[in-house]
Amino acid sequence: MSKKWQVSGRVLIPLLTMVLVIGAVFLAAADETPIKLGAVNPLGDITGAQMTKAMQLAVDEINAAGGVLGRPLELIVMDSEFNPAKGAAAIEKLVTVDKVDVLIGGMSSGVHMGEIPILKKYQKVTVWAGAASHVCEDALKDCDWYFHLHPWDYLQGESYVKGWADIVDKYPDVKIHKVFVAYEDGAFGTTSYQGTVAAFKDWDVSGESFKSAALGGGDYTAVLQHAKAANPDLFLWIGYGADALPIMEQAKAIGFEPPIFVGSPPGWPVDFGKSPLANDVVLYGMWAPSMKNVNPVSKHFWDAYIAKYNEEPATYFCPLGYTNVYIVAQAIERAGSLDKEALIKALEETKYDSPLGETVTFTPSNAIKHQGFQGQKILQWQNGEQQVIWPFEYSTADLVYPFHFGGE
Amino acid sequence: MESATRFKWKYVLLPLLIVGVAVVLGVWKPYALIQGLQRGGLYALIALPMALILGIVGIINLAHGEFMMLGAYFAYWLSVHTGIDPLVAMIPAFLAFFIIGALTYLVTIKPVLKAPELNQLLLTFGLAMVLTEFANLMWTSQSRKLPLRYVYSSASIGSLTFGTFGFTYLLGAVVVLIALLWFLRYTRTGQAALAVGQNPRGAKLVGIDVNRTYLLIFSLSIAMVAAIGGLFLTGHSIFPGVGAPYTMKSFCLIAMAGVGNLPGILWMGLGLGTAEAFVSSFQGYGGWSDVVFFALLIAVIMAKSYRRHTA
Repeated sequence: MSKKWQVSGRVLIPLLTMVLVIGAVFLAAADETPIKLGAVNPLGDITGAQMTKAMQLAVDEINAAGGVLGRPLELIVMDSEFNPAKGAAAIEKLVTVDKVDVLIGGMSSGVHMGEIPILKKYQKVTVWAGAASHVCEDALKDCDWYFHLHPWDYLQGESYVKGWADIVDKYPDVKIHKVFVAYEDGAFGTTSYQGTVAAFKDWDVSGESFKSAALGGGDYTAVLQHAKAANPDLFLWIGYGADALPIMEQAKAIGFEPPIFVGSPPGWPVDFGKSPLANDVVLYGMWAPSMKNVNPVSKHFWDAYIAKYNEEPATYFCPLGYTNVYIVAQAIERAGSLDKEALIKALEETKYDSPLGETVTFTPSNAIKHQGFQGQKILQWQNGEQQVIWPFEYSTADLVYPFHFGGE
Repeated sequence: MESATRFKWKYVLLPLLIVGVAVVLGVWKPYALIQGLQRGGLYALIALPMALILGIVGIINLAHGEFMMLGAYFAYWLSVHTGIDPLVAMIPAFLAFFIIGALTYLVTIKPVLKAPELNQLLLTFGLAMVLTEFANLMWTSQSRKLPLRYVYSSASIGSLTFGTFGFTYLLGAVVVLIALLWFLRYTRTGQAALAVGQNPRGAKLVGIDVNRTYLLIFSLSIAMVAAIGGLFLTGHSIFPGVGAPYTMKSFCLIAMAGVGNLPGILWMGLGLGTAEAFVSSFQGYGGWSDVVFFALLIAVIMAKSYRRHTA
């Protein structure tokens, strides 16, 4: 019996040592296993392309600082091509093939509507950057694993109402009673117009649709003539970047110069600010490059992005993508693991000072439990740069009023 | 006698009718008339090179608008990097795209000339997609527009203030039309091209090099539409998908005017542009302009078909 133990001991001790060593090696290797973030962005579009670059910048910064829970982050990006079916297939692939830990990124409500059924099928923790339609929000009711950053359409409307009310209070010369809205005749323009009418109950709002240059139009003379005849205090056009300069040029050509000229495209064309007609045009957005002068996180983001990519961030989706990654990384760190419940709880405790100015926290909105940003900002093109006019706490310049073409 | 009566209808009453409509519109809705002429001029200008290919080579080039888009990008980059005006950049665009057109013809069009029409359509459709994606990869989908002061030049007549630059499109359409008619009627190459368009086998029998004619006409058409891209760029934003709607409109204009009827394209363009502008001039009815476009298209094609059957 004792001999038997002696033999077993001689075998067992080296065996145990070997097991421990191999285990330790495997554990060490496991620690190096990356935490996978899966993003679905439209890579052919400047917004999606720059958002992806900003996400990679955030991942690189976090990895350079030691990663998350001692593990590196890995960003896996799929192209939605602005196609709902491709967006849905991308989610399916990220979850089942790449086995990502968290889903992030994304833009376009139409694409998101296609992605939502797949998201609901797997119920993976998701921190979505874009998509503003309340229809998407309604479809995600009771999904406690879903977190959303971009303000929903009605939140945007509410922020504009508050913003203009604050501006009228601050600037006694500014009077807004009559508003004319020229909106592109697709879903984006029509729902935005309806939202504007619903939000601005105290204003006399009228409007007319036009065919966007992005969809084969580009002649705005008729709608601008009608706007000129209405003599509004504020003229708002809702369309795409391709409409931006031609609308200004055609308005100038027919002598239409409202006191406030507002443009609301999702992205502005390259070098819009270089046109003399851009000066004093008001716009809506979540961020302006000028914020780098007043916000240290914005300044860090701006400098790091330019240093890495040798180009300037051109859309607010760029800092939004950066914010997206940092929020997820910090939540994983707080959760201490990738356990779903722990991660959701950690995300709910988010308090992130973003380059967009706001400190992001998640609060309930109309249908979902976790809404990040609560509204947009009112900006103005001044000398080729976008300046923040409102909220006043992020303001980088005073409002120039009334609008004159080319500041003439 | 009967033939003389028909002659009067066509050449006297129709212009009178057009002038009458223009006068009424000019008094009632002057903006609509101005806008319609400018818009119609642009439609006709872009459609004319497509009509040239269709009339002579017999190919419906569904990549027509995409070549205009590439020409616009060419003029844009030339303008950005060298500082030249996009109107001047039309000249190098013409020359560069003459070569690109020739290469496109030799590599893609020539092998399918004798293939069924569906194959030809699929080929040019595929070409359109390749060119759009090429532009997307090269320059992203973000729109670009040159800030040019002359595009918002305006004039006033009484209380009527309107943009004048849009008349450049109409002027361009008239110049291109006259140049094409002169080329086809008064030059040996043009006459040969007309002969090839009417009867390629007969033309070949009398010693015309049909293949070389096809190559020349296709290259010329691509060069023209690319140069027009430079003019288009002055007043419009450009992005990879900007050309596609103009391919469809150009094809519709040709269908209305009839293959080979170059002056008809100008008239139809002006008619369509004015009809669209007239509808848009009523607040809230701008969305009907597309309906008017296709309603007119259907009406004209049906009327032509009826005349053919009753002739």
